[in-house]
Amino acid sequence: MGESKARPAGKGIDALMSRDGLWYRDAVIYELHVRGFYDADGNGAGEFRGLTLKLDYLADLGVSAVWLLPFYPSPLRDDGYDISDYTNIHPAYGNLDDFRMFLEEAHRRNIRVITELVLNHTSDQHPWFQQARSSRDNPRRDWYVWSDSVERYKQARIIFTDTELSNWAWDPVSKSYYWHRFFSHQPDLNFDNPAVLEAVWEVMKFWLDMGVDGLRLDAVPYLVEREGTSCENLPETHGVLKFLRRRVEEQFTEKMFLAEANQWPRDVREYFGNGDECHMAFHFPLMPRMFMALRLEDRKPIVDILQNTPAIPDFCQWGIFLRNHDELTLEMVTDEERDYMYDEFARDARAKLNLGIRRRLAPLMEGDRRRVELMNGLLMSMPGTPILYYGDEIGMGDNIYLGDRNGVRTPMQWNGGWNAGFSNADPEQLYSPIISNPVYGYQAINVESQRRYDHSLLSWMKRLIRLRKSNQVFGRGTMEILSPQNHRVLAYIRELANERVLVVSNLSSQAQAAELDLKRWKGAIPIEMFGGNLFPPIGDLPYLLTLGPYQFYWFRLRRL
Amino acid sequence: MKHLVLQSLDQTFGRFYGMVQQFLPHLLAMIIIVLAGWLVAIILKIIARRLFALARVNTLSEGSGITQILKKADLPPPLDLLSQLVFWVVWIAFILLGLDTLGIPELHLQISRLFLFLPQIFVALIVLFFGLLAANFFSRAALLSAVNANLPSARLVSGFVRFVIILLTIAMALEQLALAERTVLITFTITFGAIMLSLAIAFGVGGRTVAQTMLERIFPPPDAGKREEEKEKVEEIPPL
Amino acid sequence: MLAETSAISEEFLRQLTAVGEVDILVGIPTFNNRDTIERVVSAVQVGLTKYFHRERCVLINPDGGSTDGTPEIFKNASVEDFGMLLTSNPLRTFHRVTAPYHGIPGKETALRTLFTAADLLRAKACAVFSPDSLSVTPEWVDSLIRPIYREEYDFVAPVYQRQKFDGLLGRGLLSPVIASLYGRRVREPVGTELGVSGRLACHFLESDVWEEDLTTFGLEIWMTTTAIVDQFRLCESFLGPKVQAAKQFGQDVAGTVQQVVGALFRCLEMHESFWKTRDGSEALPMFGFQYKVALEPLRIGKKGVLDNFRSQLDQLVPILESILTPQTLLALRNIAQLTDRDFRFPDELWVKTIYEFAAAHHRSVINRDHLLRALPLLYRGWISSFILENQKADGARIDQRLETLGGEFDRWKSYLIDRWGADIGGER
Repeated sequence: MGESKARPAGKGIDALMSRDGLWYRDAVIYELHVRGFYDADGNGAGEFRGLTLKLDYLADLGVSAVWLLPFYPSPLRDDGYDISDYTNIHPAYGNLDDFRMFLEEAHRRNIRVITELVLNHTSDQHPWFQQARSSRDNPRRDWYVWSDSVERYKQARIIFTDTELSNWAWDPVSKSYYWHRFFSHQPDLNFDNPAVLEAVWEVMKFWLDMGVDGLRLDAVPYLVEREGTSCENLPETHGVLKFLRRRVEEQFTEKMFLAEANQWPRDVREYFGNGDECHMAFHFPLMPRMFMALRLEDRKPIVDILQNTPAIPDFCQWGIFLRNHDELTLEMVTDEERDYMYDEFARDARAKLNLGIRRRLAPLMEGDRRRVELMNGLLMSMPGTPILYYGDEIGMGDNIYLGDRNGVRTPMQWNGGWNAGFSNADPEQLYSPIISNPVYGYQAINVESQRRYDHSLLSWMKRLIRLRKSNQVFGRGTMEILSPQNHRVLAYIRELANERVLVVSNLSSQAQAAELDLKRWKGAIPIEMFGGNLFPPIGDLPYLLTLGPYQFYWFRLRRL
Repeated sequence: MKHLVLQSLDQTFGRFYGMVQQFLPHLLAMIIIVLAGWLVAIILKIIARRLFALARVNTLSEGSGITQILKKADLPPPLDLLSQLVFWVVWIAFILLGLDTLGIPELHLQISRLFLFLPQIFVALIVLFFGLLAANFFSRAALLSAVNANLPSARLVSGFVRFVIILLTIAMALEQLALAERTVLITFTITFGAIMLSLAIAFGVGGRTVAQTMLERIFPPPDAGKREEEKEKVEEIPPL
Repeated sequence: MLAETSAISEEFLRQLTAVGEVDILVGIPTFNNRDTIERVVSAVQVGLTKYFHRERCVLINPDGGSTDGTPEIFKNASVEDFGMLLTSNPLRTFHRVTAPYHGIPGKETALRTLFTAADLLRAKACAVFSPDSLSVTPEWVDSLIRPIYREEYDFVAPVYQRQKFDGLLGRGLLSPVIASLYGRRVREPVGTELGVSGRLACHFLESDVWEEDLTTFGLEIWMTTTAIVDQFRLCESFLGPKVQAAKQFGQDVAGTVQQVVGALFRCLEMHESFWKTRDGSEALPMFGFQYKVALEPLRIGKKGVLDNFRSQLDQLVPILESILTPQTLLALRNIAQLTDRDFRFPDELWVKTIYEFAAAHHRSVINRDHLLRALPLLYRGWISSFILENQKADGARIDQRLETLGGEFDRWKSYLIDRWGADIGGER
């Protein structure tokens, strides 16, 4: 994989496990927004200096990589995804030195850093667009997609259905339409133009040179447009990705591309190429089905989607998650399934947005600790790299009265005091109100109170993460789904070389019994992984397990 | 001479008186036995009547149609009939017993044989009774089956069944009584065989097509479907 | 309310345990139905997916020991493409349980098994489908279950669109008797499809009737009448035309009449105190979108049945004498003398005949089995008369005609009550 760049002396599990450079297969990723994590300078919003101060917390939690939402200069009309300068830091979050300092401190604690690369579009305030729109003859004109009529690319769907009526927006300056798959203030870059490709590469190089370990490629399916198509997942788009990957391979090692493609698994599979495109991709369709299975108390949705997930090239990895900064997307489900999810999880119509539900994990689980644990247990044991959303490790709540998706992007709750320990500024100055209702408010849910107690959710999550990281089988192993007759129980075997783990989960709110056909592993002794206790050895008969409501087991199957 | 006649008469009358004197106690005993028997028979008749009533003999015989037959034959209803039977059986037994005490040896022999014969008569009567019951029941069942299957001479069939069963019953009863056993057996066998043979001939020759249809119902030939289509008209509508 | 589990085999119990609690249970009892079962299973599966896709459902097949592979077909019948059937993929695991049941193959044991399963799985609604219905559609699932599941009814009787002379035993005897005596107008008291609430199923299980031999059709009549007597909520639901797989060669009409009417009479005995004291009748609420299709008319041989009646009536007189009053018997003999053109079986005569039979059955004037076997002949006479009279009539006129007949049954109800308690031997 080319000459290895010197890594800071790595101690601990990460260094041991990831000697082959595939650190992302063993990682536990933590998604956060700089703005919402910690405010060190008292101006009401978080910044890199504050984030750096909280790296110890993240190291203690046990996560091995941090994914930062966009922190680039931006008019902030789409929470930073509308970028006006790719190679700088938004002044509100600090400057490039602050960022370098953060990077160094993170690496020192064995935490890798993944940032966003918003390839598909820029803000309309970006100098590139300002130049492109100034006149039809401008050299940068072709960096964006222009048209005199809105009839082109008619088959492309509208993504932000709640706010946009068309994929074309009228530019009064150059008197023509420009293409935008997202908000109208986010014009799409034209990837048919080699200059654009080179410019994008320069941006990538800039950050990778600095030491960033991974790039989340935002909205990759939409890079290229062609007439008569849906303008999604086109072969030319894959061509762009292959190009970028080649360049990265030539000049760097152990860097990672994470594709954001909200598509069916067989379409997402394309983004791995033959191991020559992205290293990782999100498995979007799995996520709503986990929630659905829990509600239906039936494993069918999960089993169906996993069985419809194609194999991916070696060295590639799915990214799995429960929640993120966006709404819980219901694009990749049928109409009936969407209706069901709305009825069960979004009783308040305000919680619906676009084609999804904008709530955090804990409120979706109705504050039920057992369900929260079960979902995290599934997340940590399914094939793929788990991505935690900041705040979910303490069970933070949400605020559906804030606009767009801001309800799930409220300040991190550190303690029960002034501004939840997030900032010294006046409460009115904060970039967003803090959750303060009696159930999920910062007085009840915060890091400090949970840190002190072994039985808190935070402590439990730490144990879970540690258990996950000490067993490579979860990140790298195969998965075989078992079929006990009781459909409320989901059971599967993870296997890697000689390591074998049996995961059994009760998806229902009532106690269940299930008989598992474990004849293949007859003679093995199941050892429950949280407690280390021995369970009766596997014999000829079906293995009977009883589980309490929402309970799950992780068993190591040990042969003597 | 007169003296000898008178003496002879006197001797004869004397012997006669002696015989009468010997006989009289036996006669008296017999009369007492007969009278006592009459009382016992009455009591037993009453008890039997109660028992039969409890055993619902009435319902049974009404159900199988015996009551109707008895009515037609101007006989009393079965309950009365049976209890009357009990009465007579008991009283005759006592009468025979009484006769027996008369001490006449030949009579005694005959009476013992009669007594030995009584159980047989009793069993024969039971056989007859149940035979009649069965005949009635099965003949009625046959009548209903024949009517429902729309056979032309249902009553004939029913009567035939009744006849056969009664015949069998009589043969069994006679056998029970051990009267001309072999003759009865042979007669019965011949009669029964002849009837069956004639039926077979009649059915096989005269009822060829009917026989064919009935057999085809049980063992449908391969082209049965086509045949069904040909005769499209349904004879009977499905009731449900 | 735990039911007797002796009706269920161990294997069946294990499968039920794996299924767990359900909202809807659908049963298809089978016995050698390999030709038709697959279609019925598919229709039910699509129906459940389409109309109850959020509910937990199970499809149970109590099998009476089929030798033609019916249970295997049941297990493997699957719907390939839900999209083509205009419904989306099911949300939940579709449970299918097949198990042979102990005892004599027959509706009785099968239904008992289903009700026991409904009790154990705490099903809110159950539906029973016949395995040889050729005209079953997914909509039938909705029609039978929705009234129970959403409208809180307990018993859903089917309503079929019948060929105008089809099912006259039900329409000319069972239905009017139940209407006038039990007070509810049930069009199909012996439907092969029906819906039952979980509550009612448990109630049925508690009865002793399972120990007796009510025979194939008797159970439906018992269920219908018991539901009425025990104050459950009944309704009807329109299903559509009724087409069943042709039975092999010839229906045993006499046997059917005997079984069904015998069951009815036994129910009358069981519920004596109920029907003697009540009056009038009301229609049941009817669900479902009603429509008519042109059904292939049955071509009936007119002569045969009538001749049968006329020729055989005399043969039966010795038996009929014990059952009917002399006036009724005389009237019957008189109509048997009529020519084909004039032959009519008056409503009043039919009603009296039935009621006298019912009373005689109750009093056991002769062996009950024989009594019932005397009825089919008279039924044939009535049928002939009805067909002759209504040859040219359409379905609506026939319905009207049957309503009039129903009125007669109402009118003579007191006659039945009198005869019920009359002396043995009747009036002579």
